[in-house]
Amino acid sequence: MRIPRTGKWRALGWLVCLLSLTSVSGIAQAEPYLAIQNGYTCSNCHVNPTGGGMRSTFGDIFAQTLLPAYAAPSGSPVWTGQLLQQVLRLGGDVRTDFARTSTPHSSTVQQFSLEQARVYTDISIIPDRLGVYVDQLVAPGTQNMEAYVRYGNPANWYLKAGHFYLPFGWRLQDQSAFVREVTGINMNTPDTGAEFGLRRGRLEWQIDASNGAANQASTGQNSGGGSGYMATTQLIYTRTSWRLGLAGSHTQSKVAGDRDMGGLFAGLRTGPVAWLGEADVVRQAGYADGAHTLLPMIGEMDWLVHKGNNLKLTYEFYDPNTHVGHDQQTRWSIVDEFTPLPFLQIRAGFRRGQGIPQNNAQNRTLAFIEAHGFF
Amino acid sequence: MGCSGNGAGLDANGNPVSGASGTGGTIPLSADFDSIQANVFTPICSACHIGASAPQGLILDAQHSYSLLVNVPSTEEPGIPRIDPGNPDNSYLIQKIEGHAAVGGQMPLDQAPLPASTIAFIVQWVTDGAQPGASSQVAAATMAFDISAVVPEDGDSLPQPPNEIVVAFSRDLDATSVLTPSVRLERVDGAAGTSTASVVDTRLRMPAANPRAFMLQPVMPLAPGNYQLVLSGQPGMQIRALDGSRLKAPLPQEQADRVISHFSVAAP
Repeated sequence: MRIPRTGKWRALGWLVCLLSLTSVSGIAQAEPYLAIQNGYTCSNCHVNPTGGGMRSTFGDIFAQTLLPAYAAPSGSPVWTGQLLQQVLRLGGDVRTDFARTSTPHSSTVQQFSLEQARVYTDISIIPDRLGVYVDQLVAPGTQNMEAYVRYGNPANWYLKAGHFYLPFGWRLQDQSAFVREVTGINMNTPDTGAEFGLRRGRLEWQIDASNGAANQASTGQNSGGGSGYMATTQLIYTRTSWRLGLAGSHTQSKVAGDRDMGGLFAGLRTGPVAWLGEADVVRQAGYADGAHTLLPMIGEMDWLVHKGNNLKLTYEFYDPNTHVGHDQQTRWSIVDEFTPLPFLQIRAGFRRGQGIPQNNAQNRTLAFIEAHGFF
Repeated sequence: MGCSGNGAGLDANGNPVSGASGTGGTIPLSADFDSIQANVFTPICSACHIGASAPQGLILDAQHSYSLLVNVPSTEEPGIPRIDPGNPDNSYLIQKIEGHAAVGGQMPLDQAPLPASTIAFIVQWVTDGAQPGASSQVAAATMAFDISAVVPEDGDSLPQPPNEIVVAFSRDLDATSVLTPSVRLERVDGAAGTSTASVVDTRLRMPAANPRAFMLQPVMPLAPGNYQLVLSGQPGMQIRALDGSRLKAPLPQEQADRVISHFSVAAP
């Protein structure tokens, strides 16, 4: 594809911004709006049956053909992630940003940050049957995010065991979204256990047994590590233009108090706009005044302005204790996600939080420009 | 954005001003645990580090934070305590908020780092020995444990040495509740008023089938004589003895012992 002259200048402008951030970039680690816009399931584009992390061959091809505004220069090799005669898959993801955070009654903080650099590997021991997957954070610091063995074919059924992200609601790119932060199930908090997944037609179902994050504490003198468990389940019904999901979870924890969660999430495509919503109910015991009920919600609109350019608007609501009035929090975000070339994405956005006036942290504003790269 | 709360009647942490869990949101930031809890841990950290899904099992609300931080090994770097009193350089929490921990990203994750002045106050609190504040004592009062039974019972005279001493509580125990140093068996010699007590070597065991009890097993069979079982209150908990009186909820530096049972072993 020839790049129009104006398009070249715009692309050059974005690249200058990118170089100023000294990074390479790419698609977010998980973007369910893409699945809704295209009528896909998470496992169409990701090796992980529940989405996120390493992309499948289809996901890599999608990222080189349908996602970017401009094609790679002619003659560029096509990356499929497959090495060693399809035995080994390799992938990676780098995110870096410049963010400016303003908090009432505090100095504004602005800085460049390397958000994350991850390396994904997947070894297919028996094709479409037995595999081993590793997601390793290599910077900043090193940390294993996922490491599991998988048996079965996600298109039918599978069983995986090890360290992995639990399925609960939309696997959003923004891990600080209320629904991800309050439920505690996000891509910063993998858990250790086993998962069974089943797909029948338009239905997919997962059920997990795991330690529960709060029960992963050490056996330090004041912790209650080793006690408790977590059970999680999720059911999704997918149609081409819409989908509906239900999720539930129970955690038993002597340290933190038991927690029960339920979630309802849905997606809808209307022309170039994809709509996502999720509402969760969390009942957490262990407070001095008894159990609290917490309500986090999100509504998201993703408008595909043109190929390679998505405009994302989100509104979030959070009631941290339904028995207490006047304590609700909200958050608005507007983010432009521009994917000029394969494996390259730039996101720029503004986010405004509003909570009770006496809590400065709830009333932060954030402006950022972010570069993503993946392969 | 009219759906956010106006904060009427709430402290800075969103708790009713009269609530027990409130920590007085107007506390200025200083090198004091209560202040750090109210200005940092509760409003910022506990957004994620709360409840049964708290990352790394680290719950940073006012009720749990002190007992899960101070002298507790980090789960990411078990060789480093989360807070090593007097030693901020060896405190994992400090490494995490300063952004040079060996594992994972800088805290608060996905947010702007804490201002340098805030970090300086936390470092100073650790340097000063990471003393607890009044809020941890409030939390202690909320974790009351009633002793429901002690075997041998107080005043028992046993014809044979017991294989174990059992103490049962009104609620499940975990490592938060009973620590080896908090309970001990003592042999009492001498007449009343001039008696001396010596600690008997025992093993503490918490039976898996009964999480509401623990057992003390003497390493050697108890010799004939008088014995007493001594229990200490712990930070973050409150124990009520059989007579309903509370053991003093001590600060870590303090000892608040209570003899909860006397018994004797008869000569053969």
